[in-house]
Formats: sequence, structure tokens, C-alpha cells
Amino acid sequence: MSGQIICGIDLGSRSVKIALMRSGIEDGDFEILRLEKLDTIRFYREYGRKQGEKLAVDFEAMGLPVVDHLVSTGYGRNTLELAGGEAIPELKAHVLGAIYQTGLKDFTLVDLGGQDSKIIQVRNGKMIDFMTNDKCAASSGRYLENMASVLDVPLEELGNYADHPVALNSTCAVFGESELIGKIVEGFPLAELAAGVNATIVKRILPLLRTFTGEVLVFTGGVAHNHAVVKLLEAGSGKKIVVPKEPQYNGAIGCCVEGRKHAFGHAIDVPN
Amino acid sequence: MGKIGLTTTVPVEVIFAAGETPVDLNNIFITSSEAMRRVEEAELAGYPRNVCGWIKGLYSTALHNPDIKRIVAVTQGDCSNTHALMETWEVEGIEIIPFAFPYDRDPDMLRLQMDKLIGALGTTWEAVSLQKKRLDQVRALAWEIDRLTWEENRVSGFENHLYLVSCSDFNGDPDAFAGEMKEFIQTAREREPIFQHKVSSGSRRKGRELRLGFIGVPPIFPELYDFLEEHGARVVFNEVQRQFTMPFETDDVVEQYRLYTYPYKVFQRVEDIAREAERRQLDGIIHYTQSFCYRQIEDLIIRKKLDYPILTLEGENPTGLDARSKMRLESFLSMLGD
Repeated sequence: MSGQIICGIDLGSRSVKIALMRSGIEDGDFEILRLEKLDTIRFYREYGRKQGEKLAVDFEAMGLPVVDHLVSTGYGRNTLELAGGEAIPELKAHVLGAIYQTGLKDFTLVDLGGQDSKIIQVRNGKMIDFMTNDKCAASSGRYLENMASVLDVPLEELGNYADHPVALNSTCAVFGESELIGKIVEGFPLAELAAGVNATIVKRILPLLRTFTGEVLVFTGGVAHNHAVVKLLEAGSGKKIVVPKEPQYNGAIGCCVEGRKHAFGHAIDVPN
Repeated sequence: MGKIGLTTTVPVEVIFAAGETPVDLNNIFITSSEAMRRVEEAELAGYPRNVCGWIKGLYSTALHNPDIKRIVAVTQGDCSNTHALMETWEVEGIEIIPFAFPYDRDPDMLRLQMDKLIGALGTTWEAVSLQKKRLDQVRALAWEIDRLTWEENRVSGFENHLYLVSCSDFNGDPDAFAGEMKEFIQTAREREPIFQHKVSSGSRRKGRELRLGFIGVPPIFPELYDFLEEHGARVVFNEVQRQFTMPFETDDVVEQYRLYTYPYKVFQRVEDIAREAERRQLDGIIHYTQSFCYRQIEDLIIRKKLDYPILTLEGENPTGLDARSKMRLESFLSMLGD
């Protein structure tokens, strides 16, 4: 196989996402070879070891080939930088990933991950403003996970319900659980309870979106797999929502885009 | 001569005129190596977790300094948590002297408040005027440090913060503090101007350093300044710290505290920030707010009124810059650098 192998790693709070891409020098010659997801704790425990101030990863044990370029990003980046690679700021990785995946240059990126919510305004391919959640992870994937477990439904099923949401008002993800249990006791059907959970996420994101102009929202992160959240976000914001093919790997793919620039020493064009 | 504690900047001329020594409790709290312990002590005493870290730190700090028997507490012009703070101190036997900055900057109301403070401390307007003349000379040195920061680029963001913030109480000794500042100014003038900083491995910024404004209350994590400078940016405008130096020239001490922007409406602050941002050629602004502070609401006005890239940064406890704040700061700098 010709070209360079580039590995992008997004060290998330809940899972570590790895994208393996192959790139040639031509603009369109850039393809995804593999996408892998690992539980964050398992990743650090089984494949990582501290090497001075950096984190050395045992790629061989993970079944990954030797790569030409390694670029990492994510929450762990400021605590531990990956050995043998370059680290880039998280928001930058997400912007690059979204541009690559959607072919768009003007949009508002909404990334809802395991703990973090990020909203980034991208104009002409550049980040011009952003907001992230702080001190509270009540609008994140972890909230959905907890609520799905209270409702005893798989995460995928939770995303099927958007109609007639029950009102859940607690601002705290943990107190939200007992509030939901209260609604179960009151006898609301599963569909309405699940819709209530999905609507809560959207309710928390909409105020953050208020100051961001632009007609298109690119929605990434694990929460973008939830169809009901997509539908409710579309209705609540009145904007067109684009969910790229690999929403959860967006940051890892963005790292590969950055790695490609380094591999070939020139900025790549955005594919159509 | 006794020590009088302060919860924030007040007409400190009155305290010096009365022959007393002002102690800004904020400064001794945050410079203590046990700052976080002070917060925890307040929580153990019953202060809720979701209350400003400064309030909790101030509470315990005063109790750790039994030589502070009286405190001038700002009941208007700062947050209402101060009311409960005063009351919990009073329960512990500390004498409280309330002071209110009138919300509408009414000069008569302000004069009356100062008059009451003069009465409470047993001094006179004449003595206050003399102190103003004395302190203005010390403040002029702080203005020079500020100028050396933004115009000559010879002073770091942290140095600027430290000298300017200390003007709330002049470290209790204006003459010694003036001496310290004179020495610093001399050293700073001999320095090479800072135009390009070392760029950390993670950053790919080229060219000149980024010029930032820091607005809002002084940070509970002063490590912020060094972090920014390690990443190719420098704070050349510390909004509230500069206000502590009474940056508007006037001979009238009442007018001086009327022009001081911090305790009044946000709009006067916005005007001052816009003027300085233009003069100091800022690339971006960090709006610092304390967790659980009412000033977080004002963020929406600041964002609306100021036409600069703004990062709203929230701090809670004196435990250093956390990974999330670092991530946000880095992203902000990388955005400005593009």
C-alpha cells in the first residue's frame, strides 16, 4: 500500500477514539482504514504507561500497525501528552474533522461528548468563536448513559423517542435520576420518559447556541447518534442539522487531517 | 494604630487618615499557601459549597488574623453574599463597619457614605484630603507600571496584576510600597521589550505575541498569567486591578470614588474596557467570572457590547489552573493566532 499511514487519537473522558487513515500526496487520496473505540480507563490501564512526562502507548498490543504520523488531542492532553506524536488543541481537531467529513466551510459545530459540550463557530474554514460547558456535565453523553440505565433501555433505543417529553427540571445530572424515578412512579410511559431525557439535553444546549449565527449545525460526538436529540435540536434551533458519517470519531479524524498536513507539508483542500 | 480589614476596595484615604492600617483580606487570603484550606474551613463552619470561593476564603482569613478587630464591609457595590459574611463575622465578635457605593453613582449619597465612614473612624475631611495627595503619588507609580506593561511591553501580566491589585490597601504601608514600586520600575525600564515570546511545543503560533485583556474580578488562580505567557500571549490590561489604582485623575476624593467603575453599573465598566482595549490594541479579552457570582449574568451584556473575541473563564477554588480551563485557554489562543 503506497502513501503514509496517519493515526489520530482523541483521548476522551469516556472513551478513546482512534482513527487510522492512509494518505497519498494527491488531494483526494485520503481514506479511513480503521476506526477503533476503547473505554478510557481500559486504554490507560492496559495500553498506556508513563514515560517521563509523557504517555507511551503500546500500539502493538492494541493490534495497530506502525504509523508514519501520530497526532493526538482530547481532555487528557494537558495532563499527559502522547509520546512520539504531536498534540493539538481539542477544538481545532474537531473543526478539522468536521470540515473533512462534511465538506462545509461555514457552520456551527455542536459536539456533545461523554462529559464535554462544545459549540464552535466556523467561518471560511476557521474557528472564530466557541463556547464549552464548564463545571457541569449535565448536557453530556454521560447523562444519557445514566438515564438509559435508570429506564433500563439500551442507549440506542433511548434515541427513538422525541414526542411528548415529560418535563424534567433538575439542573443536576445526578438529581435528575431521582426526578426521573419520580416520573416513573407517576406512571408516565417509557416513550414519554425517554423523550423527556432527550429534550433535557437540547434544553441545555439551546441557550449556549443563542449567540451563534449561521444556518447549518454540524452535530458530532457520541450524542449525535441519538436520533431524537437530533430531531429536537433541529426543531428547537430552527437550523439545518448535518450529522457526519462518523460523529464520534470526528476529533480523531481531525487529528489525521492535521497529521496529513505535516506528512506532506502543505494544507490539504477540503474534499467535496 | 490597629488593623482594619477590607472586603474590597473602599475609600482607603479615610482609614489612613484615622491612623489605622488597612488590610485587604482578599490579598492575604490568596497569597497564603493555605488558601484552599481557608475555603474548606468556611465550608466546615457551614458555608454552602455553591458559594463564591472568595467569600469563603475571606471568612476564614479574618478569623485567622485576630489582630483584625474591625472590618469595613461593602454592602452595596459588591455582592450580597457580603451581607451574610458580615453577619457571620459579627457572630464571631468582629466589629463591622458597613460602606455602600450608591448604585446610581449619586455624588451626594457617596459623600454621605464617606462622611459616615469618617465619623465611624473618628477622622476629618481635611485629613482625608491630605491622605489623598499622599496616595495619589503612590498610585502614579502603579500607573507607570501599567504604562510600561502595555506601551513599552517591559512588564509581564502577572507583575502588572500584582502591583495594581495591591493598590487596594498599599500593602498597609504606602511609603514602603512606593519604594518597592520605584525599584521595580527601574528594573523594568532596563529590560528589553517583549515582542516575541518563547512558543510552547503544542502551539504553532508565529510572529508577535498576542495581547490580551483580563476583565472581571482578579483571578483566584494567578497561575493563569504565566500559563498565557508560556503560550505566546500576554495580559496587557487588567481591568479591575487597574481600577484599584484610581486611574482617573481628579482632585476631588468623592469624585475619584465615583469615577472608579467596579462597584457601579456594568455599562461604565464596558465603556472603560472598550476605551482601554482600543488604546492597548488588544487581540482578545478574557472575561473572568467566579463560580456562583452574579457577575456571570453580566457576561451576556459584556459579550453583546464589546466587539472583541471573548473567552469567558470561570474559576472556583484556589487550586491552580485545571485541565479544562487550560484546554479552553489554548483553544482561544489558537483561534486568535489564526
